[in-house]
Amino acid sequence: MENYTSRSIIMRTKEVGETDLLVTFLCPDKGRIKGIAKGARNSRKRFANCFDAFCLVDLQFSLKRSGDLYLLNSGRLINAFPGIRLDFTSLSYASYMIELTEILFPWGMGDRKIFELLRESLDALSRGERAEAIAVLFEVRAMTLGGYGINLERCCNCGRIYKGEGKAVFKRDRGGVACLKCQEETAVTPGISPQVVKMIQWMQTIPFRSLMKLELADKHIQEIRPVLKLHREYHLPKGPKTVCYLT
Amino acid sequence: MEIYPPPLERLIEQFSRLPGIGQKSATRLALFILKSHKELSQSLAASLIEVKEKIELCSTCFSLTDEDPCAICRNENRINGIICVVEGPGDQLAIEESGVFKGKYHVLHGVLAPLDGVGPEDLKIAELVARLDKENIEEVILATNPTAQGETTASFLVKILSGKGVKITRIALGIPMGGDLKYMDSMTLQYCLKTRSPVVP
Repeated sequence: MENYTSRSIIMRTKEVGETDLLVTFLCPDKGRIKGIAKGARNSRKRFANCFDAFCLVDLQFSLKRSGDLYLLNSGRLINAFPGIRLDFTSLSYASYMIELTEILFPWGMGDRKIFELLRESLDALSRGERAEAIAVLFEVRAMTLGGYGINLERCCNCGRIYKGEGKAVFKRDRGGVACLKCQEETAVTPGISPQVVKMIQWMQTIPFRSLMKLELADKHIQEIRPVLKLHREYHLPKGPKTVCYLT
Repeated sequence: MEIYPPPLERLIEQFSRLPGIGQKSATRLALFILKSHKELSQSLAASLIEVKEKIELCSTCFSLTDEDPCAICRNENRINGIICVVEGPGDQLAIEESGVFKGKYHVLHGVLAPLDGVGPEDLKIAELVARLDKENIEEVILATNPTAQGETTASFLVKILSGKGVKITRIALGIPMGGDLKYMDSMTLQYCLKTRSPVVP
């Protein structure tokens, strides 16, 4: 039986039997996996308070000979992100980020970048940063990491390079922007200002630590959110259910 | 292909629908029922029917009861002005077993959990607010579990209840009896030290 040790983010837990827990967690190397923690609900030593949702923990686990269910041997809490528990808004945004990660990244698909992004985003939420802004930053980057980045380089119709002069128009079916000559603004093809196009480009590419420091004004958030909604709903038909709790 | 006769297969299937019961456990239970006296099956079936027919929610505190209002809400010896808010009937039972709380309860029937599709309107929060207006409540004790969802629910209730003219308290959080500091997580220890209380000789 091979043993693993990994820093992980607890995504969901489900009570099983008298004292066991079925835990879904995200690892940088192994991606989203499931494990059973025997006696976890009674444990005061092996699993002291480490299976709460959104917690960052160090987990030791091993794979059973058959199947893909891991056996969790011990855990140590690193950060419970206590700020997330202070209000329903933060909890809802944290839940949304967890659910979007689940949708974008299948079971067992290891990706260090999404792990880092989720950790940085939960940390920013816990610090009391603006939840709406964190969610926008997270969504843009997570969609990019999941293969649904928005093409902002050139017009998706005529191929002309977008130089940031004048508004661009978002086209959900092409996953990118078009110039105003090719596509007029409508409810399903909203216009995006050059400043916001630049911002989305940054969000898709800059390092995570800088990403969470990016300051988004309310007007930028209001402009980006409809674009993200159209993009998400078109490419992810089974969208996150937690979106109904977001303000 | 079904291994067992259809009636037994049906019983196994019914057992395996229960939480925490897998196919193997369901088979074990079904075979046990089959081997036992007929009286066991009859009393088990009667209890299942009885519990569905007679158990309901107390219209005041939303605890499980066979008589509305429940025994605690009817009890005139209980303190009227204090309500302890708990997540579920199991939590109420645990507090009752401790024997120290003499007030009344309010059962939320869950906690705020967006990942599970549970929002404020799915809990008995509006009913709690209505009780504050109706009854002469002086203190509300928030006894939700110290999990992310439980803490958030407590914070949400604080926002809702503040300004209603009642004292709002939260159950203490810290090292359990018989616990060992060496094995405590850093968050609990931080909280314990921040909320330490003076010792009176």
